[in-house]
Amino acid sequence: MARRTPSPRTRFTALRGLAIDDERLARCAAWLGLPPGCGQPNDTGNGRKRPGSTLALLDGPQGAEDSAAWLPPVAAWIEPKTDSDAQPLLAAQTERAGAVDLYINLTTETANDLHLAGRVLTALAARHPLPPDRREDLELALHEAISNALVHGNLEVAGMKELSAAELERFSRDLVRQMANPALAQRRLEVAVTLEPSALAVEVADEGGGFQPTRTDCHGASGRGLDLIATVADSVELRDGGRRIRMRFSL
Amino acid sequence: MEYASEQRDREDTIRLRGRLTFNDHAKLRALIGEMKLNKGQRQILDLSSLEFVDSAGIGMLLIAREEIVATDKTLVLRGAVGQVKRVLTVAQIGKLIPIED
Repeated sequence: MARRTPSPRTRFTALRGLAIDDERLARCAAWLGLPPGCGQPNDTGNGRKRPGSTLALLDGPQGAEDSAAWLPPVAAWIEPKTDSDAQPLLAAQTERAGAVDLYINLTTETANDLHLAGRVLTALAARHPLPPDRREDLELALHEAISNALVHGNLEVAGMKELSAAELERFSRDLVRQMANPALAQRRLEVAVTLEPSALAVEVADEGGGFQPTRTDCHGASGRGLDLIATVADSVELRDGGRRIRMRFSL
Repeated sequence: MEYASEQRDREDTIRLRGRLTFNDHAKLRALIGEMKLNKGQRQILDLSSLEFVDSAGIGMLLIAREEIVATDKTLVLRGAVGQVKRVLTVAQIGKLIPIED
């Protein structure tokens, strides 16, 4: 039977471990058929750069806190699972990464520790010149989408509805409690970026319960995030019951 | 986000530095508590060294305003620049909290 093999946007030719155990890195490398690296750029040793992109594997935020970890040739950052289904999941994530230009799949805890939106902008700015104001606006839009996915999606913490110190205290307490719950802190956040000559498409997805935006969302201290995104983006679309937001920006 | 306070005449000025986001919930709770106890009639948040604010940060500033007004004092946002100034403008925060250059 003929098998459809779409030509990928990004072709991975090397793996880089960011503070991930050597043994796990070697196992992942064997699964994916990629040569494992230890954090150095794609240097073949004879002064020539290997063509293609690098897939970085994380185990927590360590090693990804250095901005060099977010520069080309790295085009995907994945925190592999340790469960029995780790291999098919990593293969599926790597295939999704190949279909876009930048791809990130991390746990909620790691994404939050890394202040992910700023990292995505580091990766983007290395590929497309961005004036400082535009870079800040894009970072805000991505930060709002990512924090919605982390806080309200994966951690299931309700926004601050009332303008009171008691409501801030409730938000603060819920956020700390939910982040300490491994079942929620290990939920995944996925960011997929497609860079076109004069536009940028970004999808942010979570594993929470989804949501339906309503007109009354903008009362109180929460609910301004989507409005802020809309002022920066050319279009905003919610999919998968609110678990996935797709934004398009002109560059 | 980090902050430092300075008292002069009938004003307390609190300078915020860094990034104000949803992760700063504990610091904002402490800051609001301090401002409620401060003596000055005007509680001024100096934002000139704040580099980034998100929608939750804006929400926490609105909560600060409610709490300060409840103690018969005024909250003022001063000196915002760059991204912070743009977000305050887009979210029309000037309608709710006095903003000074």
